[in-house]
Amino acid sequence: MSIELSRRQLLLSGLGFPALAAAAVTNPQAAKQPHFPATAKSVISLFMHGGPSHLETFDPKPALNRLNGQHVPPSFGSVQLQFSKFEESTVLGCRRTFRKYGQSGLEVSDLFPHVAEHVDDIAVIRSIHHDGFTHTAALNWLNNGWSRLGRPSVGSWVVYGLGSESENLPAFVVMLENGIKSGPSVYSSGFLPAAYQGTLLRDGPAPILNLKPQRGMTESNQRDMLDTLRWFNERHLEKNVGETSLEARLASYELAFRMQIAAPELADLSKETPATRTLYGLDDPATGSFASKCLMARRLVERGVRFVQCWSGGTGGEGDWDGHKQCDKNHLDMAAKTDRPIGALLTDLKSRGLLDSTLVIWGGEFGRTPVCDGNMNGGGDPDGRDHNPYGFTIWMAGGGIRGGQVIGNTDEIGLRAIEDPVHVHDLHASILHLMGIDHTRLTYPFEGRQYRLTDVAGKTDLVKRLKTKA
Amino acid sequence: MSVFRHVALTLTMGLAAFGQQPEDQVRKLFDESCLGCHGSARMSGLSLSTRESMLAGGKRGPAIVPGKSSESLLYKAVAHEGELQMPPGKKPLAADKIRVIRQWIDSGAPFGTKPTGPEPVWWSFRKPVRPAAASIDELTRTERVPADRRALIRRATFDLTGLPPAPAEVDAFLSDSDPNAYKKLIDRLLASPRYGERWGRLWLDVARYADTGGYETDVLFPNAWRYRDYVIRSFNDDKPYDTFIREQVAADEIWQDNLDLNGTYELPESKRKNLDRRMGTALYTLGAMPVEYSLFGQQYRAEWQAESANITGNAFLGLSVQCARCHDHKFDPISQRDYYSLGAFFAGSEDREVPIVSQMRIFEYTRYQTKVVAVEELRRKLNSLQPNDKDGRETILRQIGEAYVKTPAMYDKANLLVHTEPVPDTWILPRGDSMMKGDKVRPAIPAVFGSGPQLDEPDNGMFIPRRRKALAEWLASRDNPLTARVMVNRIWQGHFGTGLVGTPNDFGRQGDKPSNQNLLDWLALEFMDHGWSVKYIHRLIMNSDAYKSRRNPQRLDAESIRDSILAVSGALNTKMYGQPVVTDLSKDEREAMRDLTMWPVTLDAAESDRRSIYLFVKRSFRLPMLDTFDAPDTTESCPRREASTVAPQALALMNSDWTYRQAVRFAARLDPSKDPIGQAWQLALGRAPDSAERARAEEYVGRNDLGRLGLLLFNMSEFLYVN
Repeated sequence: MSIELSRRQLLLSGLGFPALAAAAVTNPQAAKQPHFPATAKSVISLFMHGGPSHLETFDPKPALNRLNGQHVPPSFGSVQLQFSKFEESTVLGCRRTFRKYGQSGLEVSDLFPHVAEHVDDIAVIRSIHHDGFTHTAALNWLNNGWSRLGRPSVGSWVVYGLGSESENLPAFVVMLENGIKSGPSVYSSGFLPAAYQGTLLRDGPAPILNLKPQRGMTESNQRDMLDTLRWFNERHLEKNVGETSLEARLASYELAFRMQIAAPELADLSKETPATRTLYGLDDPATGSFASKCLMARRLVERGVRFVQCWSGGTGGEGDWDGHKQCDKNHLDMAAKTDRPIGALLTDLKSRGLLDSTLVIWGGEFGRTPVCDGNMNGGGDPDGRDHNPYGFTIWMAGGGIRGGQVIGNTDEIGLRAIEDPVHVHDLHASILHLMGIDHTRLTYPFEGRQYRLTDVAGKTDLVKRLKTKA
Repeated sequence: MSVFRHVALTLTMGLAAFGQQPEDQVRKLFDESCLGCHGSARMSGLSLSTRESMLAGGKRGPAIVPGKSSESLLYKAVAHEGELQMPPGKKPLAADKIRVIRQWIDSGAPFGTKPTGPEPVWWSFRKPVRPAAASIDELTRTERVPADRRALIRRATFDLTGLPPAPAEVDAFLSDSDPNAYKKLIDRLLASPRYGERWGRLWLDVARYADTGGYETDVLFPNAWRYRDYVIRSFNDDKPYDTFIREQVAADEIWQDNLDLNGTYELPESKRKNLDRRMGTALYTLGAMPVEYSLFGQQYRAEWQAESANITGNAFLGLSVQCARCHDHKFDPISQRDYYSLGAFFAGSEDREVPIVSQMRIFEYTRYQTKVVAVEELRRKLNSLQPNDKDGRETILRQIGEAYVKTPAMYDKANLLVHTEPVPDTWILPRGDSMMKGDKVRPAIPAVFGSGPQLDEPDNGMFIPRRRKALAEWLASRDNPLTARVMVNRIWQGHFGTGLVGTPNDFGRQGDKPSNQNLLDWLALEFMDHGWSVKYIHRLIMNSDAYKSRRNPQRLDAESIRDSILAVSGALNTKMYGQPVVTDLSKDEREAMRDLTMWPVTLDAAESDRRSIYLFVKRSFRLPMLDTFDAPDTTESCPRREASTVAPQALALMNSDWTYRQAVRFAARLDPSKDPIGQAWQLALGRAPDSAERARAEEYVGRNDLGRLGLLLFNMSEFLYVN
C-alpha cells in the first residue's frame, strides 16, 4: 500500500519522522502518532444533506412567532440568499415546541425526543457560520474546508494524519443515501494521494466495490490465485530488490483478501441482538435505512476505522433536509427517519465504552433562514425556508468533550452567529485538535504552497470550551 | 525626513573608510533574502529598494522607523516578533543578521541614494544558458548498466504509445541486426497514431480536460472532445510547440479567417486549417465552473478570467499563479496586480458555442427545420393528453419517432473563444471577491518578466481586441525563460517518471530546484533550436545512454493499464477521434452516480473497447477502474500522476466484471494446441516463461482454466510495471 511518498513529500508533509516514513511507504494507512495526546480516536459524522433548520431543532427563537408574517426589522441587516430577496421575504414562525432535557436543561425541539435524552453528553454549537449560500459551496465548506472544488475532505486529512487502527477495512468510510448535490468531492482526497479518499460502503452483503469474486470463484480458488500470484510477484521483486512499491503491492493483495472476508462479516447484522435491532429501529421501514448506517458506524468504529460519515438524505432519492417547501413537514419526515437511530447510536456507543473515544458530529451544510422562501424565479413557498450559512447549529458528543452545554448563539431571529461565532475553519481546527492534530502542522505541498485543511485560518478556542469541566 | 537623510548621508560617507558598513551589510542581506519579492515586484506594496520606499512602506505601513527598531515593522517581521513573519514559510534569518538590521535601524537607517540591486533573479526567470557539454550523456555522468533489448522495446513502446509491443514486433526488433535497429524502432513508434493518443493524454492532464463542468450542475460540454482530438492530432503531427501555444491562446486573433465558401462546395483547405487551429482555444472553455443562478454576468466573468489566468500560468509557464488571486503571492514575485493583469488578456473574450460549418450548411439545416417544428407540435399534443389515454399516447409517440428521424442532423459546432463587445474593464478584486472592486488594470505580463507586449488600444472599450495574440507571442517567444524549460521538463518526466524539476507546474520558489539545470537548459535550447519539435526531444532522450540503461520499474498509469488489458485480450478497438464513449457500468459502479440520465451509455458495445483517452470524462463521477489507478482530478491542471498502491486496485483487477470479461477474451485468443501458456506470456509480458514459471503456470491452469490464467497475468507486477 505505498503511495510512493518521496522523501521530500514526507518531510514537507509534517510527518517526516523517520520511523513513520518507513511505515508510510509500505502502508499509507498505517496508524501514525498524533502531534499530541488525543481525546478522540474516531469520528462519526452524521451529515444531514440539504441543510437542517437550526430554528426547528436546537436553536429556539421565540421572536419568530412574534414576528410571523412581518418583514425583518432593518436592525438585523440584510444577507444574500440563493433564491430569495431577503428584504422582500417575511418571517416564518416555528411550529415546533421546545422542552428542557437532562440535568443541563438544554432545549431540544420535539423533532428529536431520542436525541434529547442524551443532551447531557451533547455540546450544541449554535454559532457555526461560513459564506456559501448554495449547496455546492456549503457542502464543500463543511466537508473540504473551502467553497470551491479540489480540496481534500476532512476524513482524508484525518487519515492522512493519523492512518487507521484497522488492518482489514478502509480507514475512511462513507455511507450515502443516494447522491450528493456537489458530487463525490465531499469525500474525495483532492490533491492528497488516492489512498486517503473515502470508500463507499453500500448496503447488503458486498458492501465494497468489486468485493465479491466472479461467480464460480470459490474462496479456495481465490486463495490459489493469490498464492500463485504471490509466487510470481515475489520472483519479480527479487529482480527489483528494494522497490518498496512492489513490496506494497504484495501487501495490498493480502489486504484485499482480508477485506473480502472482513467486509461481509462487518455487513452481517444478523448477529446483532433483537434488543439492539429494536433500539436502532432497524426493522422499522421509516428508520431502517438510517438505522443500518448508524449501526454500521458503531461496528466500524469498534473495528478501528478512523472516520465514518453517514448521510441522511440525498438527490434522486426520497428527499433530503432542503426545506424550501413546507419546511416544517419536511423536517418532521426527515427527523422521523433519523432521531431514533441517532439516539440509539449514542446509547450504544456509551454502553460499550466507545463514546469517550468517538467524536460524533451532527449537522448539515447550513441552517435555514428565519424568513420564508421567496424564490425569485417563482415557486417560493410561504411555508418554506431558504439556505442560511450565516449562523446555524452543529452538535457534538463524545470524543472527550463535555456535554450538556450550549456554545455561542445567533441573533434573536437566528439569522447570524453573534455570540462566540465559530467559523467552519475553527470547527475543523477543533476537530483535528480533539484527534491530537495541530491543524497548522498537518500540511501537504501542492501548487506551490503547503496546503492545510484550515487554509490560513482556524482557531482552536472552541476546544477549551468543549473540554472544560462544568 | 530631509534632515534624517542628510544625517544618514553624512554618516555613511564618514564611516565608509572602516570596511563593511552596516548599510553594506544590510544591502547584501536584502539582496540575499528580501528583494526577490520586495524589489520591483513590490509584494504587499513594499519595496526595499530605497530609503524613501522603506519609509513609505507598504499596505501595513512604514517598514522602518529610523532610530527605533522596536517600532519598525521590518525588524519585527524578521525577528518574528508579532504576527507578520519574514521571510515567509522559511527559517528565520540567522541571529547575527537580525542583529545587523536592528543596529542599522537604531543607527538611523542610513541608506545612501543608490537604489538596491541588481535584484537577484530566481533561476527559472533567467534565460537558459548553453552549457559547455552538448549531449544528455555528457551532462549526466552516472554509472550505467545498459538495459537488454527486450526491456528496451517494451519500455520504448509503452513510453511512446501507452501499449505493450506485440509479440511479432518484439521478435522483429530482437532479430534486426541493423546497428540502427533501435533508432528505427523509435522512428516507427513516433510515427504511430498511438503516439498522439499517449502523449495527448499527458497534455490533457495539464489542460484539466473534462467533458462536463463539475459542481452541482456538472453540465455537459458537448464539444469538448474536439479539443481532445485537436491535441492528439497536434502531437501526431509534431506541431511545433510554439505554434501549439499560439493556437490555444489566440488562434482566432493570429490566423483571422472566416468560413466563406468563395465559390467552392467544400470549405477551402486553408480555411479548414485555420479552423482546426482555432480548436486549440477550447482550452479556455473546459474549466470546472459552477453554474448557478447566483453567478450573474460579472461574477461569472471574474471566475472565468481567473480560471484562464490559472491555466495559462500552470500549463505554459509552469507557475502556480492562483495564490495571487486573493493576495500577493507569498513566495513568488507575482502580485495581485500581476494576476489580474494576466487575467485582463482574456477580457473581451468569451467561451461561445459557434457553428464550424459554412453558412450554406446552416441554411440547409434551417430550411428543413420545419420538421423539427413538427416534432415540437407533437410533443405539445402528447403533453395535453389525458393521463389514461394509452392508445393516444402510443400513436403520438410513434408519430414523434417517425417525424424525428426525418429531422435534419444538427450541423457541427464547437466551443471556442470569440470576442465580446465592448471590452469590459478588469479590476483587482480584493480577496478574490467580484463584489468588491480595487484598482482597474490593463493587460500585462507579471512585472518580474519586464515590460512585455505593448497594446495599442483606445480607452473606450469599443475595439476588437488583440490581447491574447500579444500574450501568445510573449509565451511562445524564445525570450521567455520558462516556456521551453517547462515543456522539456514535462517530456523528461514522461520518460523517466520524475522531471528534472520535480514540480512541473511550479518553477517558482516553492517548487523544486532543478536536479540538473545544465541539462534542463541544454534541452530547452535544443528544443527551440529545432523548431520546438517535441518529437526531436523524444529522439534526443530516447537515443541517450541515460535512457537506454537499466532502471527501476515504473507503474503504468490508469489509461495504460486499461488499454494494455484490452490490447493483450485482442479486443482493443483502435478507432480514433469523435464523440466521447460512455461505457456501461456494473450495477455496483452505478451506485455512486447522482443521476443516471447524466450517463448516456454509448449503444455500440464495440465503442467500449476503445482507448481510454476517448472515454467520457465526467467531473462528478470518475470511472472506478481509472479512478483507483490515480486518474487525475480534473478540477485543476494535473502536473504529475500519483502511483498509489491500494487494496481497491487489487479488488478491481481480480474481481471486477470488466477485468473478468477481458480475461475470458484473452483465453479465447490462445490456441490450446500451440503452447497456450507460451502464447499468453508473449502477449502479456513480451517474453517466454522460464521452466519454473511454465511449471507453475501449467499446474495452475490444471487446477483452473486459461481464463483464470489471464486474470493472473493481469495482476502480475511484471504486467503493470515497466522496467
